Amino acid sequence: MTYKETVVPEPPLAGDEIRQRKAFLEFRDDDVARLRSINELAQRYADAVIEDFYRHLMSFEDTRAFFTDPAVLAHVRSMQKAYFMRLTQGEYDENYVANRVRIGAIHERVGLPVKSYFGMYCFYLRSVLKRLHGEYKDNPEQAVAVFDSLMKLTFFDVGLAIDTYIESRERTIQGQQEAIRELSTPVLLLRPSLLLLPIIGLIDSLRARQLTEQLLRSVRSNRAKVVVIDVTGVPSVDTKVANHLVQAVEAARLMGAASIITGIAPEIAQTMVKLGIDLMRITTVGDLQSGIEEAERLLGYRVVKLDGGGRQNPPEGT
Amino acid sequence: MNRARAPILKLEDTLIASVQEALMDADLVGLRDELVADVKRYRAHAVIIDVTVLDVLDSFAARTIRNIAQMTRLIGARTIIVGIQPDVAFAMVQLGLTLDGMETALDLEDGLALIGLRPGKACRA
Repeated sequence: MTYKETVVPEPPLAGDEIRQRKAFLEFRDDDVARLRSINELAQRYADAVIEDFYRHLMSFEDTRAFFTDPAVLAHVRSMQKAYFMRLTQGEYDENYVANRVRIGAIHERVGLPVKSYFGMYCFYLRSVLKRLHGEYKDNPEQAVAVFDSLMKLTFFDVGLAIDTYIESRERTIQGQQEAIRELSTPVLLLRPSLLLLPIIGLIDSLRARQLTEQLLRSVRSNRAKVVVIDVTGVPSVDTKVANHLVQAVEAARLMGAASIITGIAPEIAQTMVKLGIDLMRITTVGDLQSGIEEAERLLGYRVVKLDGGGRQNPPEGT
Repeated sequence: MNRARAPILKLEDTLIASVQEALMDADLVGLRDELVADVKRYRAHAVIIDVTVLDVLDSFAARTIRNIAQMTRLIGARTIIVGIQPDVAFAMVQLGLTLDGMETALDLEDGLALIGLRPGKACRA
């Protein structure tokens, strides 16, 4: 499965959603105006801020690792400057949002940790605050107001970026769940009338249902009389899981197939007894080998070892 | 009334109740009475109820079938239910209708094999 490599385009955020986010942050037209008013100031300080920013990044192991290539570093620096300038250009429309989402996705893809993302924004805000403080010595209220607007905007941006992180994780999880489901329920015909159902991993209600349905279909199509259900790969059993197993066994019995459960681990046996789960009516044996031997006995097979069997290589010409 | 819906066939000392279509509760009761009477009359040793065509078996049907098994055993015949379909089996266990203690088989052929009545080899070729 290559679920990880399937690139799903980022769904564009609808205008309504953008409006709601801005409303929640109380980001209004006067904020836009204030940010635009410091555009000239930003231009003046951009290079110095960016310089500080990368000096900070490069002084930490975690973040330095992302900028080992000087060409990459130069590129992201110019991108960073463009972003810095864009913060005060007064255009916070759908284009702006799409750009932020895209940048967030890139950071997520290269594996930049969320903590670094937050740390970088914090550094940005602080270095701007320092400059505002110096610039508006005579008018501290104005400095506070501008900083207030800037903080709203950066939180807006952080929200967008973190959402891309979460969405990407969700997609990965979803893809993995699908892959697990596809892999989850093989029913194997071991001999005529003998089915093997190896269960691996956790059993939830959905999976138990699929598993039982597939087992019953296989019982019919293979005319199975005995089913060996191996639970060696089931990490834990609670009352629900045990009920699912009992249901599968009883449904198979209604279709005339006897079931043998094998591979219950000692700890699981203890848990089951402590929980009061009663499997007395179900045949259980220790391991898969004994289970198959028991099934063969029920079906009237007898496995006989031939003379000379067990050799590594069969003799030539056979 | 149930004669058309579930005719009872006699094969040596086995009775085969072959359900042809969905059964009403009254049909089930009729089938039960008729089977018990026939087991006595023909001194049958086995009863096979074939439910292949049914796409639902509710609690009344399950109880009646179990009753048939218990009654016929008292007068000397075992009862085997055959032909429960996968979906029906799944629905039944979810309702807790597990027909405990009853013999089951995949279909009529397996049911007959269970009581040692194998159709001739020539027929199966």
